[in-house]
Formats: sequence, C-alpha cells, structure tokens
Amino acid sequence: MKKLIYILLFVLSTVAYAQPPVPAKPQTKSVALTGGVAHLGNGQVIQNSIIAFDKGKLTIVADATTSRVDLTGYEVIDISNKHVYPGFILPNAQIGLQEVNAIRAMNDHNERGEINPNVRAVISYNTDSEYIPTYRFNGVLLAESTPVGGLISGSSSVMEMEGWNWEDAAHTVDVGIHLNWPPLTRRQFDFSTFTFAESPNRDYEKQVGDLEMFFSESVAYGSQAGKEANVKLDAMQGLFDGRKTLFIHANTSKEIVESVRFAQRNGVKKITLIAGTSALWVSDFLKENKIPVILPATHNLPDRNDDDVDLPFRLPYLLTQAGVTVSISNDKSLHGGRNLAFYAGTAAAYGLSKEEALKTITANTAKALGIDNRVGTLEVGKDATLFVSKGDALDYRTNVLSHAFISGKKIELPGIQEELYNRFSDKYGHKR
Amino acid sequence: MKKRLLFIFALISYAGSVFAQETFPRNDVKDNRAGLFAFTNATIIVDAQTTLQNATLLIKGSRIEQVGANLSVPKGYTTIDLKGKYIYPALVDAFTNYGLPEVERTRGGGFGGVEQMESKTKGAYNANQAIRSHYNAADEFTIDTKVADELRKQGFGAVLTSKPDGLARGTSAFVTLSEKNDNTALVRQKVAAHYSLEKGTSTQTYPSSLMGFIAVLRQTYFDAEWFGSQNPRPFADNSLEGWIQTQKLPQIFAATSWANSLRADKLGDEFGIQYIIRGAGDEYKRIAEIKASKATFIVPVNYPDAYDVEDPFDAERTSLADMKHWDLAPANLGTLEKNGVPFAITTNGLRKTSDFLANVRKAIENGLSEAGALKALTATPAQLLKVDDQVGSLKKGLLANFIITSGKLFDEKTIIHQNWVQGQLYSIKPLETKDFSGNYNLSLNNQTFNLEVTGDPGSHKAKIKINDSTSFDATTTFAKDLITISFKPTKQSTGSVRLSGWSEGTGWKGKGQLVDGTWVSWTATRTGDISKPAAKSNPAEKKEELSKVIYPFTGHGYPSLPVTETILVKNATVWTNESDGVLQGTDVLLKDGKIARIGKNLSEPGARVVDATGKHLTPGIIDEHSHIGAASINDVAANSGMVRIGDNLDAENINIYRALSGGVVAVQVLHGSANPVGGQSALIKLRWGESPENLKIQGADGFIKFALGENVKRTSNASSIRFPQTRMGVEQVYVDAFTNALEYDKKWKAYNSLPAKEKALALKPRRYLVDETMLEILNRKRFISCHSYVQSEINMLMKVAERFNFRVNTFTHILEGYKVADKMKQHGVAASTFADWWNYKWEVRYAIPYNAAIMHREGVVTAINSDDAEMGRRLNQEASKSVKYAGISEEDALKMVTLNPAKMLHLDNQMGSLKVGKSADVVLWTDHPLSVYARAEKTIIDGKVYYDIEKDAENNKVLNAERARLIQKLKNAKRSGVPTQRPDSRSQAEFHCDDVLGEESLEHFEH
Repeated sequence: MKKLIYILLFVLSTVAYAQPPVPAKPQTKSVALTGGVAHLGNGQVIQNSIIAFDKGKLTIVADATTSRVDLTGYEVIDISNKHVYPGFILPNAQIGLQEVNAIRAMNDHNERGEINPNVRAVISYNTDSEYIPTYRFNGVLLAESTPVGGLISGSSSVMEMEGWNWEDAAHTVDVGIHLNWPPLTRRQFDFSTFTFAESPNRDYEKQVGDLEMFFSESVAYGSQAGKEANVKLDAMQGLFDGRKTLFIHANTSKEIVESVRFAQRNGVKKITLIAGTSALWVSDFLKENKIPVILPATHNLPDRNDDDVDLPFRLPYLLTQAGVTVSISNDKSLHGGRNLAFYAGTAAAYGLSKEEALKTITANTAKALGIDNRVGTLEVGKDATLFVSKGDALDYRTNVLSHAFISGKKIELPGIQEELYNRFSDKYGHKR
Repeated sequence: MKKRLLFIFALISYAGSVFAQETFPRNDVKDNRAGLFAFTNATIIVDAQTTLQNATLLIKGSRIEQVGANLSVPKGYTTIDLKGKYIYPALVDAFTNYGLPEVERTRGGGFGGVEQMESKTKGAYNANQAIRSHYNAADEFTIDTKVADELRKQGFGAVLTSKPDGLARGTSAFVTLSEKNDNTALVRQKVAAHYSLEKGTSTQTYPSSLMGFIAVLRQTYFDAEWFGSQNPRPFADNSLEGWIQTQKLPQIFAATSWANSLRADKLGDEFGIQYIIRGAGDEYKRIAEIKASKATFIVPVNYPDAYDVEDPFDAERTSLADMKHWDLAPANLGTLEKNGVPFAITTNGLRKTSDFLANVRKAIENGLSEAGALKALTATPAQLLKVDDQVGSLKKGLLANFIITSGKLFDEKTIIHQNWVQGQLYSIKPLETKDFSGNYNLSLNNQTFNLEVTGDPGSHKAKIKINDSTSFDATTTFAKDLITISFKPTKQSTGSVRLSGWSEGTGWKGKGQLVDGTWVSWTATRTGDISKPAAKSNPAEKKEELSKVIYPFTGHGYPSLPVTETILVKNATVWTNESDGVLQGTDVLLKDGKIARIGKNLSEPGARVVDATGKHLTPGIIDEHSHIGAASINDVAANSGMVRIGDNLDAENINIYRALSGGVVAVQVLHGSANPVGGQSALIKLRWGESPENLKIQGADGFIKFALGENVKRTSNASSIRFPQTRMGVEQVYVDAFTNALEYDKKWKAYNSLPAKEKALALKPRRYLVDETMLEILNRKRFISCHSYVQSEINMLMKVAERFNFRVNTFTHILEGYKVADKMKQHGVAASTFADWWNYKWEVRYAIPYNAAIMHREGVVTAINSDDAEMGRRLNQEASKSVKYAGISEEDALKMVTLNPAKMLHLDNQMGSLKVGKSADVVLWTDHPLSVYARAEKTIIDGKVYYDIEKDAENNKVLNAERARLIQKLKNAKRSGVPTQRPDSRSQAEFHCDDVLGEESLEHFEH
C-alpha cells in the first residue's frame, strides 16, 4: 500500500510538472509588512516602514520610526533588512498573446488588416502563459497586453500577472489604442555594401491620408444621429473623451511631431508616445505638449554608428532632464520582460537617481497607461500590488523576491523554471 | 589648302571604309587608301615622361610611323598644322564592360525558399554556377557607338572589356573605340582572367556569403590543379579548362572595398598569384595595408555626391564615415601616388562617363601629379594588360590612337578637339575656334553701338553697351566665317534688331532687319581688347582643410592607434581568478603588454599611475560566442567546413568599440548555425583601429562551429529541401563527414608513401577542403563549438565524437545542458550558455536561468555567452544572473565570462586571470563588476588602452565638432551647385546565429 502511494505521488508530481503555479486566493486577512525599506515609486524612500493592506488595497504606508500603528488583527510579516516596492509595470508587451513566437500556432498578437481598433488584446490573453511566472519572479506584477501590426493594431489592456482566466486577470480593460505611425523611410538590406540602406516610403502620404480620414470620420460618427453601427468607429470613441489613451509608435523626430500634431488636431485627449532616441531631438515639443514617452529597453545598441556608445543607457536620464515623463518597456523578445528592473537599473547607472529610475517602471508607467489612480506607487487607497526583495531590486544580485502580492493576493513565486531547477539539482545531489 | 583638307576629312571620318579587311565582300569599287597623315608643329606628349615641343607625328594607316621634333614631312602625306595644339597618346581604360551585354541581376541564390543545390548552367560546365572561367568577352563583343562616343570624348582610345558576372568571370578582350567594325575594334582576345567576390547571375544556393565566395575560389584552385594533372580528364568541365588555360594571363580581381582588396590579395598569396586589383576608390582608408599588398590597382574616380544636410534632422542621419569619404575620396589617388602604390585609373563605377576628366582633375587638385595621372591612363594600363606594344604611348609601330587637345590635358579649360582611333579621326570640337573677344563699334542705320564680346573661343558672350551702367545682352552665334547678332536697341523696345553677317578683316559686315522690319546694312569694327578682370583670388574659395583619416574609418575611430603603456593600477579591488581570490587595496603593474607585478605598494619609474581606489580590476571579458567583426557569418552548405570567418573579418564594425566599452577584450567570431557543420571561427582581440588581420590572436588553436536542431533542419523555411530535415539526418551528416575524412586520409597517406618514382607517375589526389577540415577535427587540430539546445542532440554529438575517438570541445547555447550535465562532465566538454534566454522557439522551451549554475556545480567548465552585440557588451551583468537565480559565488560568476571562456578557447595560458606573465588584458570598473551600476572605465588589451571612459567623452566632442565642420562644408558645396544626394543612414548589419547573407530579419529571435 505504501508503495502504491509512492507511485501515485510520483505520478501526481509528473502531472504537476510543466503546469504554471496555481492562482492565489483573494486576500482574506489584513497584512502588514514591517521594518523594510519602502521605495514608494514616487521618489520617496521610507527606511523603516510599515506597509499594510486589506481587501486588496493599501491601508497604511507609514514610517515606523515616527508613527505608531496598531497592527492587531494583521498578519505581520517582518521584512527587516529587505526592500519593498510597488509592482513593476511592463508597458507595450505581447504578454499572453504570444508564446513561442517561432511557432505560428502560438501567435495571437497580430491581426490581419491595417486598421483594427476594435481588436482587443484582453480577449486572447492566456493566463497560462509560461512567461508570467518568470515576470513575477523578478517583480513585474502588471503588464499591458498589446496587439501589434498594421496602422492601428488594436486595443490593449493592463493585466495582472495572476488570475484564473482573462476576466479574472484583467486590471484595466481597453486602456488604449495603438497607432503605428507610418515611417517616412524604409529600411532595406543592400547586398553590395552589406549594410541596411534607407529609402523613402512611397506610401507615406497615402497611409497618413487613410489615418486622417479614419480619425475624422470617427469623430463625426460620435455625433451622428441615426447612424449605422460600425464596430471600428465605436472602438475609437474613448479616444475623444479621454477614456482611452492613444499610444503612438513613431520612429524619427519628424514622425513624432507629425503624429502627435495629427492626434491633437483630431481631438485625441490622452496621448502617449512610444519612441526611442529620436524623442531626444524633440524633447521640448514633448515637454510642452505634456506627452509621456515609453522608451525601448535601455539594453539596446545605439541607432547610429556615430552615437555615443552609452546613448541608450543614458536616454531615460537625458529625457527626464529635459522635462519629459519617461517610462521603460521591453522591445525585445518576450522573455526579456523579466529584465525590466535591470533596464531601469541601467538608467540609474547612467544618470538617473535610483528612485527616479524606479519611477520609469512604476509611477511613470502608470501615468503613461492612464492607470496611476490605482497603481504605480505605494500610497494608501491604491492596489496592494507590491513585492519584497532581498535588496535593491534594480540590481541583479539583490533582486531576489521573497513575497509578492497582486491586489492583496499573496502569489506563489516559483514557476516551472524553479521546478526544473529543483528537480535536476536533486538528481545530481547539488546543494541549492 | 590644309584647312580645306581638314574640312573634307571631318566629313569622311565616319564613313569608315578606308582600310577594308581583305576577306570582306565589297559593294563598291575598291577604295584602299594609304592613310598617310603628318601632324606638325604640335607639342607632343610621347608618354608621361617625354614631351616634344614643336614636333611632328606621322601615321600610316592604323599605325604610328614616326614621332620627332625635327622631322621633315615626306611626300604624299596630308599635313595638318597643329601649332599651339597638343598631342597625347589616347587614354586606356583597363576595366570596362564596353560592348558586352548587360548582366541581368537575377534574384535567388539566397537561402529562402527551395534551395538550388546544383548549377543551372546547361552544358559541361563547372559544378558551381558562379565559376565562369569558360567565358570569353571576345565571343560577345560588339561595338556600342553610344558608349564609344562617351569614352572618346573623355580621351580614351582603347579599353579592356570584361563581363562582370561570377566569382570567376573568364577572360576579357582588348578593344579600341573604333566604330568601323567589330573585326577592327577587337585588338586582342583573352587578355586577362577576371575574378570577383560577387556571385553575379548564379542562382545556386551555395555560396551565399563573402567567406563562401572566397572558399569557392580557393577550392577551385585545388580542383583545377587536380583536374589539369589528368590526361585524359576524368570528366569534361569547360570552366576548369578555361581556368587552367588562363592562369598565365594577367589576373584581375574586382574588389568593392579596400577590405575586399586585401581579402583578394591574401587569397592570391595562398596560390602564388599577384592579382591586379580593381579597387573601390577608398584605398586611402588603409593605405599601409594596401601598399603592403604589393598589388597594382585599377582605381575608379566615382566620388560620392554631396549629402543634402540642410535639414538638421536629416543631417543627423548621415554618418561621419560617409561625410568623411565624400571629403576624402578625391584625395585617394594622390594618397596612392604618395605611397608608391602603382595604379591605373578607370571610368568604371562612374554614373556618368562625362564626369571622368573633371574627377581626375579633382584628384589632381587634391594631390595627384599630372604626370602620375597621365601615366595611370596610358603606360600603366597598357603594361598591366601587356598591350604596351599597341597603346599607351606615341611610338613607332603602335596603334595610331591619340588625341589632339587645345592645351594640357588636365587643365580645366582644355578642349579635346579630335580623337584618332586606329588612324581614323573622330572629331569632338572644331580644331580652329577663332577668338573674337574684344570691343567693336557696331554701326547701322546711322547709329553706333558699343559691342562687347567676352568669354572663351567657342563660348563667347556679347553685350551692347549703351553707357557704363546700362547694357543689353545680345544673342550671338559665331561660326568660323559667319555671325548672327540680335539685341534690343532700347530698354523700351518690344522687338529686337537682328543682324547676320560675315567676317571682314578684324570685324564683320552684313545685312539685317530693324525692329520694324526695315532692311539695313551694318558693320562692326574691332576697336581693341576688352580689359580683362584680374585673375580671381577669392579667399573664400581657398581649399578647406581635408578630413583626417581615422582608424577604423567610422565614428569613434582613432586618429592614431593606441600604444603599449606601462601602467600602474594603484589600490584596486583585484579579482585575480587565481587561488588568491579577490585582493583588496592591491596594485597591478602592466608592462610590455604583460601583467608584470601584483602586490601592495608597488612603484615603477615612468609608469602611468592610475588611482583605482574604490574601483575593481578584473581580467578582460571574453565572449565565447559572438558574431561581431565579421562581414558575413553564415553559408549554406550542410557541411560548410571549408568557409572561414577569418577570411572576412570586418575591423570597421562599431560593435567592436561598443563591446570594448563593456569591458570585452576578446571574442570568438563564430560561423552561424545554418548548418550541421558550420565554418571555421576566428579568435580575435578587440584591437579597435587595427587592420582585420591584426585583430586575430596569433598562434591560437583552430575552432569550428557545429550546430544542431531547428536551425540546421531549416525549420523556419517551410519549403526547404536541404538534407537533413530531422535530428536523425543531422547525426548522419556527421557520421558521413568523419567517415569521408578517414577515407581521404587513407588516400593521401597511400599517395605520400609511394616511392619517388612511382609518385611522379601516380595521380595526386584532389585536395578537398571539407575533408581536410574534418580530418583536422579528428586529429585534434581543430576544435568544435557546437550550437545545441535539447538534451537528445547534445547526447548524440558526444556519442558520435566518442565513436570517432575525439571529444567535443564546447557546447554553445546548450540550454538543456542541465539535463545531461553529468554526461557532459564525463565526456569532458565545456558549456557556454545564455544567462536567461528562452522560449523564442520550441527547442528552447525548457531553458532555465539556473542552467549555468547546474552545469558549473556538476563540474562542467561553464561560460556565459552573448551571440548578440547588445548583450555582448554587458556580459558581466549576464554573469551576475547566476548569482541572483542560483546563488553561485561571485568569483565563480565572474570566471564564467573571463577565465572559463579562456579555457574553452585554449587561451587560458595567456588570458582569463590576473597572473604575472599573462597578457595585460584587463578592465578597470567603477563599481563591483557584477553590479548593474558598474561601468568599464578602462579596457586594456596587450597593455594598450583601447577604451577609456574619459577619452571617450572627449572623443565624442571631437566627433561632433568634425561632424559640424563637414556639415558646413556640405552645405557650402550644395550652395556652389554641385549635385547632392539624400542623406542615407546606413547601418551595419548585426549578425546572429541564424542570419544568412541578405536575409537578416529585422527581428532576431532565432538564436
């Protein structure tokens, strides 16, 4: 009988293998984290903090050295010598829409057609994506699931990195629409020189014309009496009353100015720009027009041979100095999302203070996504989406999580990768 | 009389029946003429060294009869008085495709779609479609009157013509620019054999990389030797026959950059061949190496147009290298001359042939001597092509190919009047152009106007001057004896006075009509010369300073190369990677390129002291898996063991400097992963600014790339037909390759052991580079770095190696190494892996960031690699991920990017740790080297500081100042009216494992 149980256990454990962690139960008990260094995400640090939350919301954010708090009834977790952070937010990611991108069947991120505002990421979002545990493990607790392709890719949603299904995991549905501004030039490989050469995009005028027409008709549709229902035009409506953000992807300085002016002219209320180094040359324009910018990963090569070698590392600093609200994304393969913290760490190595760097993956990102009323900082009333790290979460050796909570739910951190680590360490008899 | 003759001559010059071929049918009476002409009183430039004043040239038919200063003209010659004129030998272009059909660029030959494994050339030709040594330009040549006219107008009389198609292009023909008939124009066939590093019209899949092009040529030399040694031949191969027959001819290699020129020269050296190299006009960028090649160059004058940089955003997109090249290209020929590199000049590469002389003049303005230019257009090409018995100077017996000019050929104002080809005149500008400039009194209808004629003969302008401040332009045409003038007589006049007349004494007279149509007579009497404005000495037009050449020729290049320094690093935290571990407050002395001393309170007279308080000194980072610094990285044969990354290093790649800024000192430049057996690696140190050859680590062992799994199965190409398509087939590729290598070895051993007499009679086996490479592996002379992911295939290759009695050196990527770490340890293979990459394709689904730690703990020598130029400059950070995820020690983590890769590259006797006697390849960090906040402050290789964070900041300022200066210069050039081009931001391709030439996808997920 005993043998049978062992066998049964073995079978069970094999079944358990390759399954993502079980989603956590909703918060039932108030939790207080005490004694940790709290990085609030708004630039402030509390060296000896009390962070408490109940029913998924933060209830206390206090300095233990100056305030006395009665923690009766709380589950108190001592995090002395540890650091607590608001959950990092990864914007502009194909999380949940794409798994192994080399396999066609595993791609759900790019719908056919040029103008697809009605296509919604939340619908395809796969809560069982194996990327999710790897993100959480390093502090990324929220991500914007974003479609790609065409001129208007579709509507993105902010998802919690936790949940039984997409309804459960949704944090903010349809936060915005993603517009890919047509490039003025196209890049082609030139056999004779072994380099990529640029040539003008001959379709530019037509593509911009199509967008002009579509936006102006969307505006007109909003006030049409007795209109014939149109799902594409319906999807656009939130842009003109500020419910949704228009995320503009633009490459060059000229494209940035043209696209932002285009959106403003058409009455778009909230605009966020997704761009790289070229934002630097028009930083005054972005500052004056209060356009937040989502940058690619700092772990990138400079665009041009002549650029300073560290330009991508310094870019968040340079734009912040210029008065632009900056956040950082992962523009690389989806697996890179778990390195978001280190992209910010690099920004701190190259000009930003550590707390300013932290903002680029918390408070600033929340602003860029239009969800800063709920997340991005550790403030009373906001979501209890936070984690505890052994040390500085922006540096490799100290970004080691012991606890993470999403809307108060205590989530399990190890995923399949940790399971495999344990399994093979045990096989070889290694001490972990 | 003379004048009349000349006039008649001009008329008949194109009729072309003067010297008819004997065998040709006639459709008229016989009209054979002697063709005896005497050109007298000319300044005759016999060749670049010899000028005869007041001399005479006699020609007879198509040949030169005599040239001399004191010749009397024999009877029967038509004499042409060339007083004040010059005679030059007609120019010779040693590299054109004149009169040959256009080579249509075919698509294909890449790696997408269905592979074409065999040549599509119909007939008994070479196995590779790009070997076209059977081709002879003489078979296809036919006169192209339009192109001939363009070339003659630039002073050319004869050219070499070859078809730019293929790696081996067959032979060229030497032809004149005669328009008489093809039989006359074709002077000599099979003049030179031609080669290139361009595939041309070949649609065959292999080769598809620069190094593959070189490999095919190299193999063909061996094939031709073997094939040619057999009689009868083992099979028919017209291309190899052509190759064999043309080896004694001048060998001309068409290169498209200085780097390719050096690559070609190096290939030639392997076979004792000195190529003549058609260069790219950028030789000045590496003049020392170009000179050392000892090659003669055929150099184009195709300077880039100025970039239109009016818009600062557009200007940003233009690279310093492009702007500098625009600035320096006209100085290229002068640089070649000053350095004693022999060269000819070609029109090849010019968009408009009519720019040719103007561009040669620009070269002269920028340092080329006039004599040098003339020599490069006459004697040098004639000698190169061994046709100096035909052209290139004005000597008895040579072809009567010469030009008559108004002055010195390279003076801006000089006109080419006539171009004689094989004794036949091609008139370009009238020989006699009268100078009418001067002031005239124009009288008509009882009025006198002051007519002012200015400008040069042939392009006069005229004005009617009322008084000093008022004048009207007059429209005039001047013929030798006739003149037409029309002008407005008053400001208010709505019509013109129109006059027509003829020359009379020093003026004209004639008839004309007034505005109202009244006919009148008129005269114009010359009253004197016009006062010429003083020669312009416009200081603004004074030549601006030229750019300085930088090494390498790209942004962040150095004006001069770093030198070995004696450096004393004081008070650093020193990570020795030796049993001493991490030493606090320690000094390290670097001297003569080595680590000289390590200890406390060191001193060294004359050393540059670097205060490293609070800083960390580590061995330089070594990347076991990189693709930076190569011009191409993937060829496509399933066994590509014959291709060599070292054949196509790219020392100009900016990613070398970027890697230096991240503390990297050396990398293995690996072939890609498109094939079970990839090409041979190059081990390089990142000696930024050195030539490609100087990057190589001398004496390093040979390595080769193998690859397993999805890439070599061509999973991403659904229509691929290439064997293998499964992991089962991949194994068979190896078994087959090693089995063949053993057979190859047997064959050669048998041959080599024959007694001398028998050996002389026996057939020498063919040298086959693929088998030789495999044999090197079996003989432990070359070591495998194998791209691998899943455990089954890792296991497989170890078993194959064990069966053939050798060991796999390194598994690279090896993302499932953690599943077979015990087997790897037992086999003795090292592992070089990604820190945390996964899930970009199916075979990496179960990659984990604990992989390095598990293999390391199991005793496998483990490294972290990049395969990526971006990650490659943060390898210290990648190493620290093993600390974060699996808690390995910091020292062990650092070893994963320093000592351990040195071990797997067999470089640990000289690199990888801080030990006295090892190479001074070190990095000084601002912070703990595993921290995200650490920046490389100094990266030192061989005791030379190749990257210095402060110098970098200074150099950035210099770079931006130089950009600003060139942008201003470009703007001035645009204002002066030169043609401009759109700024083009070119970017170098960044290579990853799976990239094949020309198919680098913009997303690189497949590693």
